[in-house]
Amino acid sequence: MGEKYAVIGKSVPKIDGRAKVTGQAKYTGDLKLPNLLVGKILTSPHAHARIISIDTTEAEKLPGVKAVITHKDVPTLKYGISPARWDESIFCSDKVRFVGDKVAAVAALDDETVYKALKLIKVDYEVLPAVFDPEEAIKEGAPQIHDEYARNINTEIHQNFGDVDKAFAEAHHLRTDRFVGNRTYQCPIEPHSAISIWEGGKLTVYSSTQSPHYFQHYIAREFGLKMGDVRVIKTYVGGGFGGKLEPTGLEFAGAVLSKITGRPVKMFYDRHEMFAHNRGRHKQIMEITTSVDKNGKITGVYANFMMDGGAYTSLGIATAYYAGAMLPLTYEFVNFKFDMIRAYTNLPACGAQRGHGAPQPRYAFECHLDNVAADLGMDPIELRLINARQPNTVTPNDFAVNSCELTECITKAKEISGWVQKKGNLPSGKGIGIGVGSFVSGAGYPIYRTNLPHASAIIKVHEDGTAATLYTGATDIGQGSDTVLCQMAAEAMGFRYENMKIVAADTETTPHDFGAYASRQTLMSGSAVKQAGEEVKGQMLELASEMMEVEVSDLDCRDSIVFSLSDPEKAMPFGEVAREFFVRKGPLVGKGSYAPPKLGGTFKGAAVGTSPAYSFAAQISEVEIDEETGEIDVKDVWDVHDCGMVINPGLLHAQVHGALYMGMGESIWEQVLFDDKGKILNPNLGEYRMPTAMDMPRITSELVESYEPAGPWGVKEVGEGATIPTMGCYANAIYDAMGIRVNSLPLSYEKVWRALKEKKEKEKA
Amino acid sequence: MYLPDFEYHMPATIQEACALLAEKGQVAKVLAGGTDLLNKMKHGLVAPAVLISLKQLEQLSNIEYEEGKGVLIGARATHNAICNSKLLQEKYLSICEAAHHMANNQIRNVGTIGGNISNAVPSADLPPILMALDASITLVGTKGERVMALEEFFVGPGKTLLAPDEIIAQIVIPDQSCTGSTYIKFGLRRSGALAVVGVAVAVTMDGNVCKDARIVLGAVAPVPMRAPKAEAMIIGKAISDDLLEEVGVCASTECKPIDDIRGSAEYRRDMVRVFTKRALRKAINEGHV
Repeated sequence: MGEKYAVIGKSVPKIDGRAKVTGQAKYTGDLKLPNLLVGKILTSPHAHARIISIDTTEAEKLPGVKAVITHKDVPTLKYGISPARWDESIFCSDKVRFVGDKVAAVAALDDETVYKALKLIKVDYEVLPAVFDPEEAIKEGAPQIHDEYARNINTEIHQNFGDVDKAFAEAHHLRTDRFVGNRTYQCPIEPHSAISIWEGGKLTVYSSTQSPHYFQHYIAREFGLKMGDVRVIKTYVGGGFGGKLEPTGLEFAGAVLSKITGRPVKMFYDRHEMFAHNRGRHKQIMEITTSVDKNGKITGVYANFMMDGGAYTSLGIATAYYAGAMLPLTYEFVNFKFDMIRAYTNLPACGAQRGHGAPQPRYAFECHLDNVAADLGMDPIELRLINARQPNTVTPNDFAVNSCELTECITKAKEISGWVQKKGNLPSGKGIGIGVGSFVSGAGYPIYRTNLPHASAIIKVHEDGTAATLYTGATDIGQGSDTVLCQMAAEAMGFRYENMKIVAADTETTPHDFGAYASRQTLMSGSAVKQAGEEVKGQMLELASEMMEVEVSDLDCRDSIVFSLSDPEKAMPFGEVAREFFVRKGPLVGKGSYAPPKLGGTFKGAAVGTSPAYSFAAQISEVEIDEETGEIDVKDVWDVHDCGMVINPGLLHAQVHGALYMGMGESIWEQVLFDDKGKILNPNLGEYRMPTAMDMPRITSELVESYEPAGPWGVKEVGEGATIPTMGCYANAIYDAMGIRVNSLPLSYEKVWRALKEKKEKEKA
Repeated sequence: MYLPDFEYHMPATIQEACALLAEKGQVAKVLAGGTDLLNKMKHGLVAPAVLISLKQLEQLSNIEYEEGKGVLIGARATHNAICNSKLLQEKYLSICEAAHHMANNQIRNVGTIGGNISNAVPSADLPPILMALDASITLVGTKGERVMALEEFFVGPGKTLLAPDEIIAQIVIPDQSCTGSTYIKFGLRRSGALAVVGVAVAVTMDGNVCKDARIVLGAVAPVPMRAPKAEAMIIGKAISDDLLEEVGVCASTECKPIDDIRGSAEYRRDMVRVFTKRALRKAINEGHV
């Protein structure tokens, strides 16, 4: 009993680990139902074209085809995950806006018939001029993608805090840099899939989703159904990273196909279609100007950004706001100006990818700061320490920061990486670099306006007390929330983790939760779970007090044993008390819910980036560059995190490894490429190069002591926060190794080779 | 992504397979591992009406040594069979290593050497090292068998001298005096990446003097190509770093790369310089074939 906690803070095995490694776990694509039909969507081969006519006659005649649908057969109501811009349709009616836009769908008895039927649908297009570059798209006379949005401006942001002009005028040193990001895609291993069953007035959807709630909300809205008549069930999910937050054509078209045929319809994207559906990282063009005083203290920052949004909004408006909002969080400065244009282009729509809008601007800012440090002759770490955010402060854009151990993170990373010995002393071709970042622990406001609590939970103790089931809408997509929440439930109840069961992410059987995005579940869902667990424990102890004849205040429960605090010999098994509870009072149930306090300012866009708590991290990496080929070998990475109390260290470090992996891909290799007609050139895992196990560096993941008052037991996030500094960290190490800066992502071998070649040529001349 | 309809045959003998090819004509394709063909069919890039599977032709999977001929690799030998062949590891480790760096393990388990050669993809990994080792290729058709040097077999991207009724039966690596060989693949990640540049070399050293050399470049021309000027430059000379650099520069002027999504022609050309130099150094230093 020496340890403070019995269950949390321990790397217990993942609750679904066995099911996953044995293949017992069933994903949506694995499910089989009686009379199941297969559905598939026909997409546009053109980036921008008017639809003249669609002829489905031949497809309908094909034996085995049960339904063929186009825009004429579906609701015309426009949708989108962000209510700020509903601009998508189930099927295009007037024109298609990117290669892969949805035109029609087929349901048939089997895969083979579906694919044959798709080929029999005849669509006549009038091809229109298209635009693929955001800077071109906003020019007068560029092809107009949506009639409603002049000059293809999807959103425009102008924020101004403090007095940047004054700060710049009085600057000791002022510097501007321009960086260009890359279009990347989440590439979850499991492709999206959905099974829709429309029976009577009720629609049930099994889906590979990050948020059953938003799926339920938007599917109900689209079809004019009551939310209670739409049931969304998450199966096992093989990764999302932001790409499975919103319903797709698979759910919308699948629902209609099921309604028409009266049979369940399974739909899925293949790898190529996943790339076309996209919702991955926006490419941002980022110009940053910073003023510093003679000590290197940042006095003002102006971020002038543009992003390529693709053909639709998705979550892109929030992405655009996040791009700026997160900048003044990591470092302290009061004067901050942010301009942003998100432009429509005839490319697949971008959305929220791990870290949302923040990683590319953070990459740009971290590189820019290293440039500033070089200008000032300062060590990059010194510059960061001078400016690092401190606890209990407020950002210029009104984010209240409670716990913050950024200074400690940077200091520790410096120590464990051997920075002092290495910086400036590494042999030619080797380099060391730092990146720093911070992120939200859950969004302060939901995606659409509602006053629902953000999370809720129910715990039911089984009648004989041998097990307890946690019912939660929280969504495990591989990150391990089912495990962490069961640990939290067990801790709060004084129960054993091994005896926890979980039913999660089913809108009918589990209570409401917004799902897996914005790194919200450990803090928000965890708060609700803790409350539910404590309610169970309270009821238990009350009855135990009667049974054991000990005052409630002298009782506690831990590891499934109720005991007297003053005389621990007096004890009774949890199960015995729980069983008696059921006999005397009926079901033993605890409930909890969580809503964040009112957060943030009142300016336009003030809600984006608000959070009850913020995580902080410092990453240092060491790289070796082959000076002849430009090949980059990442040798070592050190990550030090301030993520509050840690519930499951094993899962936490796994998140850090995953973030470093993704960040490395985005820094060096990954980029979705298009030809001059807007067709994706590398929609596969062969040519869209994510790192392999053989490419990974040695990783050291460490923590600092931290306690967050806004989180249950002091927790904060890690999943996305660990992605934020990563690109900047690698980029700065590469810069250190080469002595020159490549200002665009990915930092491909060829770009490095070219930069080194130009450097040599300059030196010769 | 779904396979289009096709007629499927699984002949029991190579003669039967050739007869079928002759009978079906251009609409027929030979199926071995299928890692390339089936993928192309799923993507609608090719749509052969007839597939003739070599599945039953077990003898085509053999890897063996025949006195007087050399090492014979059956066309159906998979990349992993090549990696794991004791015979090849002993006699031509460089071929095993080249096979080991291809694609990924799943593909190496299924893909075959015959398929890799008959596809005639400019970036293919096996042809350069086989050509460096002076391999010949045995083709069997309805009119009998013919043998040609592998380097004569390739005509252009996806194009070879294989007649419509012919099947690649085996690859023959003759006994040779070469003292060192290697293939270096330069891809954009360590596994599962196609070659941006591949350089294979075979050298015959006498002390520090190079008696003979073959240099073969992959992914930098329509077909895997010899670099004859570079070869001439090194033969008969004592090896030095400066010489290897000059040979690399020479090879880079001989290649004919194009721009594609994996790299620009300019980059590829310089990588030929770098990897020709490195491959020669490796083959000379490591001293195994």
